[in-house]
Amino acid sequence: MSGIFGALIVLTLIKATPLIYAALGGVISERSGVVNIALEGMMATGAFTAVIVSYASHSALAGLLAAVLAGALVGLVLAIAATRFKVDQIVAGMGINLICSGAAAYGLVLIFNQPGASAQVPALGRQYWLLVLLAFALAVALQWVLQRTPWGLRVRACGENPRAAAAAGIDPLALRMWAVTYSGMLAALGGAFLSIGELNLYSDGMTAGRGFIALAAVIFGRWNPLGAAGAALVFGFFEALQYVLQGRIAWLPADAMQALPYLAALFALAGITGRVRAPASDGVPY
Amino acid sequence: MRWRALVAFVAAAASAFAFSGCAHHRGARPGQLKLGMVTDVGGLGDRSFNDSAYRGLLMSKKRLHAYIQVLQSRSAADYQPNLNALTNLHFDMIYAVGFLMGLDLDSVAKQHPQQRYAIIDAVVNDPNVVSITFREQDGSFLAGALAAMVSKTHHIAFLGGQDIPLIEKFQAGYIAGAREIDPTIRVDVKYAGSFDDVAAGKELANLMFNDGADIIFTAAGKVGLGAIDAVKDRSGDFIIGVDSDQDALAPGKVLTSMVKKVNVAVFDVARSLQEHKPMSGHVVFGLKDGAIGLTDFKYTREYVTAPRRAELATITRAIADGRISPPDTLQALAAFTPVKL
Repeated sequence: MSGIFGALIVLTLIKATPLIYAALGGVISERSGVVNIALEGMMATGAFTAVIVSYASHSALAGLLAAVLAGALVGLVLAIAATRFKVDQIVAGMGINLICSGAAAYGLVLIFNQPGASAQVPALGRQYWLLVLLAFALAVALQWVLQRTPWGLRVRACGENPRAAAAAGIDPLALRMWAVTYSGMLAALGGAFLSIGELNLYSDGMTAGRGFIALAAVIFGRWNPLGAAGAALVFGFFEALQYVLQGRIAWLPADAMQALPYLAALFALAGITGRVRAPASDGVPY
Repeated sequence: MRWRALVAFVAAAASAFAFSGCAHHRGARPGQLKLGMVTDVGGLGDRSFNDSAYRGLLMSKKRLHAYIQVLQSRSAADYQPNLNALTNLHFDMIYAVGFLMGLDLDSVAKQHPQQRYAIIDAVVNDPNVVSITFREQDGSFLAGALAAMVSKTHHIAFLGGQDIPLIEKFQAGYIAGAREIDPTIRVDVKYAGSFDDVAAGKELANLMFNDGADIIFTAAGKVGLGAIDAVKDRSGDFIIGVDSDQDALAPGKVLTSMVKKVNVAVFDVARSLQEHKPMSGHVVFGLKDGAIGLTDFKYTREYVTAPRRAELATITRAIADGRISPPDTLQALAAFTPVKL
């Protein structure tokens, strides 16, 4: 039995980590007032950039840093669209998702001369456990930043009532710009964890909807970093549980098992309705 | 501000289309055979099923001087638009690569009765569609038999992509083949629920190895790449690859690959057009066409010894002459009993 529990714990952590990064990115963006459904595309960008830079430099660490920078860049694009141009944030986010996955697909052809999947590149190997730890550390740090620092207070003010914040001498546009840029960096780390942490390649579609599950974790976690990380752990746990249980319960088909994490998410969300409140100005251009 | 949103959306959609990796349309010369292909969601680069189909297209380009174009499907919602897009460009043959495209092709083919289509892995009963299926259960039977011979723990495993009838053919054949050699062998089965979540493949493979299985047969598209990545860090454990020859992806750790030469089928269909004897109806490829089988164990000869290869050859003959008929569904598997050879 201990074997199963051990496997369950390890798998939960591995499954939750990319979700935590993306969910933290979602939290910081949405607390500042910008809805971020581009998490999926940001993760793909991070995963892809990490692989090409690791391939070119033979250094997984360089790949990781490049992924963070690329994520910042994508975040900045969404930030500028959402602040300077006041584009509908959902539409801009969808557009970024399409562009990111499309650009990565095209990049594979350009760089590796083969569509679909990259060559195998240097990866972090066992060091990826440091990234797991970092995810939890960042969750705690972000909670502290948002709740206890002046900058965090300003972010929250911009998400609730940017006009009041502006009256207090804060520049909501600049603040949202930074928050969304950080959001891109975090989500990209989640993507890099997949491509050069767990694995050693980029393949089209490898993020497999994790950015959207992270979005659910943001809501389930009530827009709090620790809450979102907790929600990501819950999703990770049910995903791990369905892996472990598959084939152990003969009468339950694999399809039903695979629905488990989503059922859990549904019940979790239904269970906290009424107590969920998004930042008042989330998604409203200033 | 609405127009800005619209502009952003159109720009995004346009660039996504531009980036979607379609082949450059250089235009075909008159009289040139024009071949189009719509890939399944696994997509090109799976080093497996779709790549094998693509190699068939490339072979047609080289040997038949055909003009080729490929559209990739990101999701099942792309099947019909992709098929329609190629249909509007008037190809001599449009390949729908994948079981999941069956229903979509059926409706497109009915709307365009003058256009020829070919579908891989499904049967579509329209006069303008040639359906190509493979006897995956035969090759999987051989894979299962070999796994049972090589396994030291009497415990092997199967990793599927999505739980669909096509993948069940691999699963049923594999388990039956293993029981042919070792009737009491334990075979664990898990499905990733996806053909492209590579990380899930690694996680599931590690889970099954840690449970005690020492050989995993993957029938899961790109998910299998994750399983191959998992086996690299282990000793004494093996993956059996699928569809394309995946042996070189982790030399010595991929015991063999159950190759399904979709490329042969794709090329045969194209050649039949060139020779003005177009194939039609339902064509089945199997062991005897050389379209299904195991690789030549280039990196794993020390485990696949000569006596074992001889035993595999015996089983291959028994399948060919009908003494063994590998099951292609789980119901048929339940009724399967090992055959004395």
